[in-house]
Amino acid sequence: MSRDPRICLGVIVGVKGVRGEVRIKPFTEVPADVAAYGPLTSKDGRSFAVTVTGFHQGVVIAKLNGVVDRNAAEALKGVELFVERAKLPAPDDGSFYFADLVGLAVELTDGTALGLATAVDNFGAGDVMEIKAADGQAIVVPFNPSVVANVDLVAGKIALNPVPGLFEDAENLDEALNEEKERGGDAA
Amino acid sequence: MARSTWKGPFVDGYLLKKAETVRGGGRNEVIKTWSRRSTILPQFVGLTFGVHNGHKHIPVLVTENMIGHKFGEFAPTRTFHGHSAGDKKTAPAPAKKG
Repeated sequence: MSRDPRICLGVIVGVKGVRGEVRIKPFTEVPADVAAYGPLTSKDGRSFAVTVTGFHQGVVIAKLNGVVDRNAAEALKGVELFVERAKLPAPDDGSFYFADLVGLAVELTDGTALGLATAVDNFGAGDVMEIKAADGQAIVVPFNPSVVANVDLVAGKIALNPVPGLFEDAENLDEALNEEKERGGDAA
Repeated sequence: MARSTWKGPFVDGYLLKKAETVRGGGRNEVIKTWSRRSTILPQFVGLTFGVHNGHKHIPVLVTENMIGHKFGEFAPTRTFHGHSAGDKKTAPAPAKKG
């Protein structure tokens, strides 16, 4: 899969005040880091030096060079801000950027192909990786040491341990559902 | 109104039995469940549940700070169109190659 050399760090969602400040919704781990990797570029190639001036309810308030009044700031609403992937610092040993994992081929340790990694999310119970199988089915697996055996960014492969209950198709879905429904009243 | 204390936390009985079986067997198994309503109990810590979100089972590795919450809270049911890119990192712990 071809990789986009740029990574989206935030999107301009609004303006603040009359001096050209914009509100940026950050996609960075630390909101202030939206300005930590140098000038950001828009999809159409415009470059902006970002200076963070404040924070408000999860949104970063920032000044962009060349944007001096509210009208100019309002014209930028909806613009996504990108940084070159190469500008991000190398991750610690054993950790990976979400963006680097998306698109890698996923297989079991015995070589059985599972599909392609399409997303890495965290819904509050640890990182999970979504895999799109060849038949279009989506499989979600935990991204933790007990499941992930190896990540090879150079070869573009992720090897997973076969964990019971993780990859079985929902072939007995109806049976399982009926079983659970029948036992539905049995509460502790 | 909050649930009466004398009733104790609600858990579907079959889920409790499944968890006990897996814990007793010492297996590293994902316990698939549709019971989003069940409360996470201390004896579930360390187990992985596959909580159904209407489409698929989302793996939920239970940790101590999840006790008292419901399983459904960790398996969102709406399509997520957010960004998983940015400079977010994950650490599964195996040594990085390349």
